[in-house]
Amino acid sequence: MSALQIDDLRVARGAAGRAELERFSLSLEPGETVVLLGEAGSGKEAIMRVLGGLPEPGYEISGTLKFPNGEAERASRHTRPHPRAAWLPGPYPSPFNPHATVLSQLSRVLARKLGVPLASGEAELNVVLRRLDGAPPLDALDAPPGDLRGETIAWGLFAMAFAQTPELLLADHPLSGLAPLHARALVAALLAEQKRAGFAILYAAAGTETARLLGGRLIVMRHGRVVEEGPVARLATSQAHAYTQMLFKGAVGVPPPPRNTGRGEPVLQVYGLEIRPRGRNDDAPDSLTFELRRGASLALIGEDGSGRRDLARTLIGLRRVASGRVVLDAVDIGILSESMLARMRRRIALITGDDDVLDPRMTIWDTVAEPLRAHLRLPRNILSDYGEAALKRVGLASLKPNTSIAALSAFDKRRLQVARAIVTAPVLAVLDEPLRGLDAFAQSVMLDLLKNFRGTEGPALLVITADFAVARTLAETALVMKDGRVVERGTLRDLPANSTEPFTRSLIEASGSLAQGGLPPEGAEG
Amino acid sequence: MSASGVVSMRSLPRLRAAIRAFGFAGLALIAVAVGLSDVIARAPADAAGMGPILAPPSSQFLLGTDALGRDLLSETLHALAITLIHAGLATAITLAAGSLSGFVAARMPWKGGVLLRWFAGILGAVPALLLAILFVGIATRDYAAIAAGLAAAPLAFSRTYDRARALSVSRHAEFARATGIQGTTLMRRDLAYEFRDTFLTIFARALAAVTITLSTMSFLGFGAVPPHRDLGLMIAAARASYLQAWWVAGFPALALLLLILFARLAAALDEGERP
Repeated sequence: MSALQIDDLRVARGAAGRAELERFSLSLEPGETVVLLGEAGSGKEAIMRVLGGLPEPGYEISGTLKFPNGEAERASRHTRPHPRAAWLPGPYPSPFNPHATVLSQLSRVLARKLGVPLASGEAELNVVLRRLDGAPPLDALDAPPGDLRGETIAWGLFAMAFAQTPELLLADHPLSGLAPLHARALVAALLAEQKRAGFAILYAAAGTETARLLGGRLIVMRHGRVVEEGPVARLATSQAHAYTQMLFKGAVGVPPPPRNTGRGEPVLQVYGLEIRPRGRNDDAPDSLTFELRRGASLALIGEDGSGRRDLARTLIGLRRVASGRVVLDAVDIGILSESMLARMRRRIALITGDDDVLDPRMTIWDTVAEPLRAHLRLPRNILSDYGEAALKRVGLASLKPNTSIAALSAFDKRRLQVARAIVTAPVLAVLDEPLRGLDAFAQSVMLDLLKNFRGTEGPALLVITADFAVARTLAETALVMKDGRVVERGTLRDLPANSTEPFTRSLIEASGSLAQGGLPPEGAEG
Repeated sequence: MSASGVVSMRSLPRLRAAIRAFGFAGLALIAVAVGLSDVIARAPADAAGMGPILAPPSSQFLLGTDALGRDLLSETLHALAITLIHAGLATAITLAAGSLSGFVAARMPWKGGVLLRWFAGILGAVPALLLAILFVGIATRDYAAIAAGLAAAPLAFSRTYDRARALSVSRHAEFARATGIQGTTLMRRDLAYEFRDTFLTIFARALAAVTITLSTMSFLGFGAVPPHRDLGLMIAAARASYLQAWWVAGFPALALLLLILFARLAAALDEGERP
């Protein structure tokens, strides 16, 4: 008896609308793992929505579903979660009410699902968390979601799903946006629980790394159709379809060709900058000295809370320099007033993995033109030429300029940030987790755009990331940070082989591309 | 969440838009009626002896007559015009002294804005009606509209201040600052978008609140001064004949109810400044 049987599932907007999913069939055996891989709009979201009992209003759904211990039912009638199936979402975007604690919300959902009192739900959650290797204690979840890190929330969601003792686990991008180190630990916990409880997993994934870690069967989807299907082990090494090849080629982890980065003029010079570990004011502060020249790239590698963002904020003048000197474009920013600092920052671009950074009330055109209008006061026709050229370069020229930011996808927003960076012709670009939460296809496109941006505009890059593979793709040198301290520094070409710091080694091991493929050949291009 | 829950959540914005459109259509209708009041009304304001006293609604006097034999339809239309003009003036004062200044205060350097917010918070805790009556006590009844507008300003100030503060510390504001956008540019940007997106809602909300305040003031004798009678004063004057002639107070009250109801609907029933 299969854990899940899907026959001829079709999802389309309206009766005559474009199909989001075309005649999809799947048989999932108990204890089996199937990974659905594809970009946004590939059809995997439609499958997960239908299976989770959350059909979109206005959509036509046909086909049949058969869950564990149940009769086959029409997919259009499946409008509530199946009792033997557990839903596992990711921490981004947050599935929680921001005003209540994560613990109370998880306990309530679990208690309702199991039909037990609230206290029993919390106790069940505690039992599972204690069983999972690397999970935080129950108390760590007793805070609103805004106060918790993504990985802590993810552990809570995993524990809630496991506590339901499901026969089928519907994992909807549960690791999206998490650092590789944490993603790896969560996948290990997932596989251990599957081995223990024997449930089947249907996993919707955006990237190939998770598929590699999970193993099992892989279904590659695009435009609502299955492109290729087979064991992960086989497809990871030999792909028949060009789209699958493109996904697995994976530009992340491939270092840029060697650059002569010592010749440009210094853009950022840091002398004896004191960085103090968070919450440890009595500790002796670290003192940091380095130089970043035009065209060069430095990665600040570390997990959330490691102090890398605080350091970056200090370097671009958003935080006061407490001790030491930061010289940006030949100006000591420590002596500048607030308005002079703002003028200084006109030559800085910021591209982040946070999709809230673009004002949702603005349009595409306003977002791109704002730096030009605010900084240069250019005539309208020149402004228009610059903006259009930048939008063309990032592939957004086909969208109407008056499209609201709120209507854009995460991928479009990310590309729009690149377009905005292009028009400012910056001397320094800060890339803060620029690939976070994107699927493999979007990551590949973003990397190409960032490389093109770097090659054409030639700014110095400051890359903030928790993923060693991303750092290696975009930067040449790195500072590895932990608990507010720089624990190791060196070139990204040498660190994988020469690192002596256990934390750096754990980051390298967690970055799948490096772990799987080893070191890429000298001078390879992404 | 059930599928029906998803449907209802998704249709909420459309429902609000429909409510808002209905409210504005009602207000527009009232504005047209007021604009044509001199044409529609068969008698000038305060024209006594147009018919028998306290005559019930009939084909000759559609809304009946009052204790001085005035045509109630004409009187209600004239009073509605005065109510609307006074409420419009009061709303403009609320928007300028409350909403606009709240927005600017949120971006003030040092602690100036915080102090103003604190002061507005204290004033906002006092019922707006009481504040307006106090203002009238300091000045005269001729300034009732200004008093009502100023009385509603503290709550409008607090609301806008809080919104502007939230915007100034939002992720997109921080992103803009990190890329060199000046504080003044950010404020102009926020002001433009807030004006575009929420001005009509704030206007309608304030209109409903000051209309209630003004009418209550007039009813209590602190508002409109005869011979310029507004709806509150009309209702107050009809107190003596409530029991034997319901229409004398009933129709002005209905006109007032419609004005406030349409203003509240135009604000999409958004919770707003308390009268």
